[in-house]
Amino acid sequence: MSDDHLFLVRQIAKGDKQALAALYRAYERPCYKFIVSRLNDPHEAADILHEVFMDIWRVAASFEGRSQVRTWIFGIAYRKVIDVHRKRGRVTVTDEVPETDDVAEAADAGYAAKQEAEHLAYCMGTLSDDHRGAVSLAFYEDMTCAEIAEIAGVPEGTIKSRLHHAKKLLLHCLSGRIKGRAVA
Amino acid sequence: MTRARSEIVLDLPFLVNGTLGAAEKAEIEALMAEDALLAAEHEALAAIREGMQAEDIRSPGEFGLARLMRDVGREGAGPATLKDPVQAPARAWVWQVAAALAVIGFLAQGYLLRDSSAPQGGYQLAGAGQPGALVVTFAPGATEESIRALLVEQNLEIVAGPTALGLYRLDLVGGGDPAAASAALAAAADIVESVENAPN
Repeated sequence: MSDDHLFLVRQIAKGDKQALAALYRAYERPCYKFIVSRLNDPHEAADILHEVFMDIWRVAASFEGRSQVRTWIFGIAYRKVIDVHRKRGRVTVTDEVPETDDVAEAADAGYAAKQEAEHLAYCMGTLSDDHRGAVSLAFYEDMTCAEIAEIAGVPEGTIKSRLHHAKKLLLHCLSGRIKGRAVA
Repeated sequence: MTRARSEIVLDLPFLVNGTLGAAEKAEIEALMAEDALLAAEHEALAAIREGMQAEDIRSPGEFGLARLMRDVGREGAGPATLKDPVQAPARAWVWQVAAALAVIGFLAQGYLLRDSSAPQGGYQLAGAGQPGALVVTFAPGATEESIRALLVEQNLEIVAGPTALGLYRLDLVGGGDPAAASAALAAAADIVESVENAPN
C-alpha cells in the first residue's frame, strides 16, 4: 500500500491530477478526522484539508521518500493546524494534570465512555493541541511512537510524555463528566 | 525487566493501538499482571480508542475533491499569469470566484447534511431561474473564510452566480429580514463590494 502511495506521489510530481485524486481519496477521511479533532471547526478543517492537498500538489517533487507518505501528509496537516492556532492566538487549554484520588474510578469512568461519545468529544476538546494531536494520531490512526514523533517534529520521549499526561487528563475529565451526569 | 516501571508505563497507549514491539509488549503485559490500576487504565484507554475509531465524521468527500481539482487546474495555468503584470486584475477576479464557489460548495454540503431527509429540495445551483433576495459582488481582497463567516452570520446562502460580471444572488436561510441582511452586508465593505435588492 505504501509503495502504491509513493508511486502516486511520484506521479503527482509529474503533474498527474488523477494521481492527486487517488491520493486524496486514500487520505482525505483520516486526514480530515485528524484536523477536525484538533480544530473543532468542520468548515475550517475542510479549508485546511484543501490546503494540505494543494501543498502536496505543489511540493510533491521535493518528497524524497525518506519518510512514509502517510507521515509526510500528516506532518503537513500537523503544521497547518499549528499555523491556525498561531493566527488565532490560541493558548494552551490544559496542561496541568489534576490530582485524581481514585485512578481506578477514573479508569472505570473512561470505560463507560464507550457509550458516551459526547463526553469523549468534550474531554478531547479540553486538551491542549499538543496533547490532542498525539492522542488523535495514536488512537485514530494507530501510529507508532516514532511516526507521531516524526510528524510532530519532537523526540519520541516527548510524545510518550504528552500521551501520558493526555491520558490522565482524559480519564480525569471523563470521570468528572460521568459522575456529574450520574448525580444529575 | 530492563527498564524502570515509570518508563514502561509510558508505552501503554502503544500497547492499546497495537504498535508495540514484542519485547516492549511483554514488559508492559508483565507489569499489568501485577498492577490492577495499570490494567484498568489499559481497559479505559482501549475503550477510548474504540470510541474514537467509531466516530462518524462527515468529511468534505467529493465536494472537497472537486474543489481541489478546480484549484489545481487554475494553479496549473498560474505561472504564466504570475509573470505578466497585465494579468493581475484577472487573477484577482478568478481567485474571488474560486473563493465564492468554494463557499457554494460548503454551504450546499452543509444544507444537505442538515436535511438529509429531503435530498431533492433546497439548494439549487445557478441557472434554475433567478432566485435570491440580494445581488452582491465580493471585494477582491475578501477571503473565503471571511465571506463564509459573514454569510453564516447573516443566515444567507449563495443561490446563484457568479455571472460574467461577478454577481452573486443570495437568499436568506429560513426567512428573515432582507433589509437588515442587506445593511449588514453593506457595512462589511472589506468583504462585500456592492449589495442591492434583487429585481423580481
